Amino acid sequence: MRIRTRRTTAVTAAGIALLLTLGACGSDNNGEGTSAADTAAAAGSSAAGAETTGADTAGSDTAASGTAGSDTAGSDTAGSDTAGSAPAESGSQDFAGKKLTVWIMEGTNPDATPFFADVAKDFKAQTGADLDVQFQPWADAHDKFTTAIAGGTTPDVAEIGTTWTPEFAQAGALEDLTQQVAPMKDNLVQGLVDAGTMDGKLYGMPWYAGVRSFVYNKDVFEKAGVQPPTTWDELVAAGEKIKSAVPDVVPFAVAGDCSYCMMPFIWGAGGDVATQQDGKWTSTIDSPESQAGLTFYTDLALKQGLSTPAAATWKETDLLKNFESGKLAMVITGNWTITKITTDAPDMKGNLGAFAIPGKTADKLSPSFLGGSHLGIFKASQNKELAWKFIELMSSDKYAQQWAQSSNFFPGIKSLLDETAKSADPLIAPFAKQMVEAGKSMPVTPDWGKIEGAKVLTKMLQSVLTGKASVADATKTAAGEMNDSFGG
Amino acid sequence: MPDPHQIVAAPAAARPGGGIPGSSRAPRRVPLGVSFGRGVRPWLLLAPALIVLALLLVWPLIRVGQLSLQDYGLEQIVSGKDNYIGFENYTELLSDPLLWRTVLPNTVVFALVCVVGTVALGTLVALLLNLLGPAWKWICSTAVMIAWAVPALTGTYVWVWLFDPFDGLMSKVFAGLGLIDPATSNWFTDRVGFYSIAALNVIHQGFPFVAITIMAGLTTIPRELHEAAEIDGAGAGKRFWSITVPMLRPVFAVVTILSTIWDFKVFTQIYLMPGGSGGNDDVLNLGVWSYLESFAQGSYGKGSAIAVLLTVILLLITGVYLRTLFKEREL
Repeated sequence: MRIRTRRTTAVTAAGIALLLTLGACGSDNNGEGTSAADTAAAAGSSAAGAETTGADTAGSDTAASGTAGSDTAGSDTAGSDTAGSAPAESGSQDFAGKKLTVWIMEGTNPDATPFFADVAKDFKAQTGADLDVQFQPWADAHDKFTTAIAGGTTPDVAEIGTTWTPEFAQAGALEDLTQQVAPMKDNLVQGLVDAGTMDGKLYGMPWYAGVRSFVYNKDVFEKAGVQPPTTWDELVAAGEKIKSAVPDVVPFAVAGDCSYCMMPFIWGAGGDVATQQDGKWTSTIDSPESQAGLTFYTDLALKQGLSTPAAATWKETDLLKNFESGKLAMVITGNWTITKITTDAPDMKGNLGAFAIPGKTADKLSPSFLGGSHLGIFKASQNKELAWKFIELMSSDKYAQQWAQSSNFFPGIKSLLDETAKSADPLIAPFAKQMVEAGKSMPVTPDWGKIEGAKVLTKMLQSVLTGKASVADATKTAAGEMNDSFGG
Repeated sequence: MPDPHQIVAAPAAARPGGGIPGSSRAPRRVPLGVSFGRGVRPWLLLAPALIVLALLLVWPLIRVGQLSLQDYGLEQIVSGKDNYIGFENYTELLSDPLLWRTVLPNTVVFALVCVVGTVALGTLVALLLNLLGPAWKWICSTAVMIAWAVPALTGTYVWVWLFDPFDGLMSKVFAGLGLIDPATSNWFTDRVGFYSIAALNVIHQGFPFVAITIMAGLTTIPRELHEAAEIDGAGAGKRFWSITVPMLRPVFAVVTILSTIWDFKVFTQIYLMPGGSGGNDDVLNLGVWSYLESFAQGSYGKGSAIAVLLTVILLLITGVYLRTLFKEREL
């Protein structure tokens, strides 16, 4: 009797255990889901805003997954009906009753809702069609695009990170825009056009862009008595001065998980990631120039001791966090993060300075990665003509300028960018200078997404920083991995 | 503390009415002549659950198996076409030194440490809870449950924050004790350091389940056994190994197997740690590697092959466990 009872209890216990397992599985999946989001962020890091927004949203926003914002713009339009606004513009009503679905990345602009409400109003006036803007967090976006492409549920138009465009185009998901863009082609920022061009065809309309440069803590620079450097030697000298004058501040953190912070030094030394010859890409990350650049950059940490060992695993978000708390004298960061810094750390306001990334010699800057977003039309769209009208509207001076201003990015239209470049704002001018004079794109090939996903450059940098590999070995491994991806 | 006799008596009293369905009643129904129904009815009743299981579990399983035999990327996803390449993914995988030198040892050793740690700590906590009075028992088990309720994501960030090599609490404590030099060390970049922190995280999150389950099991052990042993002069250790452990074998079996499964496929806790998301090959485990291959690099075929490998290893280990540690009837 007693034994049986015990057995029943044991069985019950096992049953409960199983139930709990299921519960735990559920939560486990959630965990994976969220972190999946994080990867997408990592994968999409190239697309300018991704890292800052991505990592931050990973925890909280994933569940909402963008749909929350979906109705805002759409429903606003519903109200602003045909009666008053129709005659205002060149307004035709050819597309009355149609609805255009658009995906916009969330977080690039602190609050994009009023902007798109305006766009939707004008769009309705011009075409008679409704606009349904759905906001997608950067973190989830790459996965969401892939699944949407697979399931045939893509929107009509979407904001696409510049490094994803070739990948999606290669997969046959994007519409060729060469014809439509042709009339305005000369007035587009070249780096963005390059990033969206594959085999001579343009798959993404340049929308906005950003670039990384140095941001520094004025207080620390003053205390150490240093000026913004204009050459690499000056950079080292400034770092060493800060190190001895303000010992509790890290002069310049060499972040192991930020390949875009490293690229200026590789490019600045005359090296490159890969070159294309006869349509075939070959990695040049192991060229003597690239190696020299990587050596200089990692020596800042390993030889000159301007960094901290903790930085070997830092992402851009960690850089920013520690800079905000005043523990770093200078960082390489994107122009779009300035607002974030001043919001997170209001006392930093007035204490911030910026300078373009110095070159090896004073006569030219080190190039920095020019990242941003395209607007692309999906092949599966039923409203391609309407979709192009939307892109035209977004690229109009009015909206391109307004978006750039409210989001702290630079417009993808050259004439507008030139205007911004004349800005006297000390926190804008250096970035604009960097973008106009020394903005560069990563290899434009569908394989790049894979290489980025495999974190080839990050692995290379980290292995040197942690002393696991020499510069020569690390670059050879990285080149091998890249060539594998290019080959297959 | 409730009287153990009541616990023993309660289910026994309930049996005549409720009983275990089927076992005692089925024979009585046979004479009613529903022989056809007897064969089919259980399956009919099970059908909804089986269909749901098949859709949610079996089909994805088959699909992963299919994918692992293909070179499957974004292009295939878009076109929806298959691209079979035989066992190429597997040969590539099994001939990859990264698997043998890094990923497999990381996964297996980490899981081993975590399972032992989780079950040991869980058992100790259960024994402690069992000794406490009702109020303290409630307070402590609530505290334990909170550790369990914290999502893996949040928990991991807390541990990373504690161990932050730049200005984390633990690095200050360790530096203060003179054990590390903060100017030269970063434990996240080192395989052992990285996985020690991950193990703390996983054990911290996993032990409450073990503790609560074993505590439930402990209440089923009749007090007389312990009393009798005590009178015979058995010490606490002797009583634990000779009474508690044998009586709770089935419970231990369940928690060990479940912990093994969980700790083998741990993902979030590794992926979210600095360097864990692919920046440092030294700290890859099977779960993260599979994810990186599939989703970060778009090689869904190879990613699936890794997932299949993980499943096979898990099945093997679970099988061996069942054979060696526990007798069949105890499950």
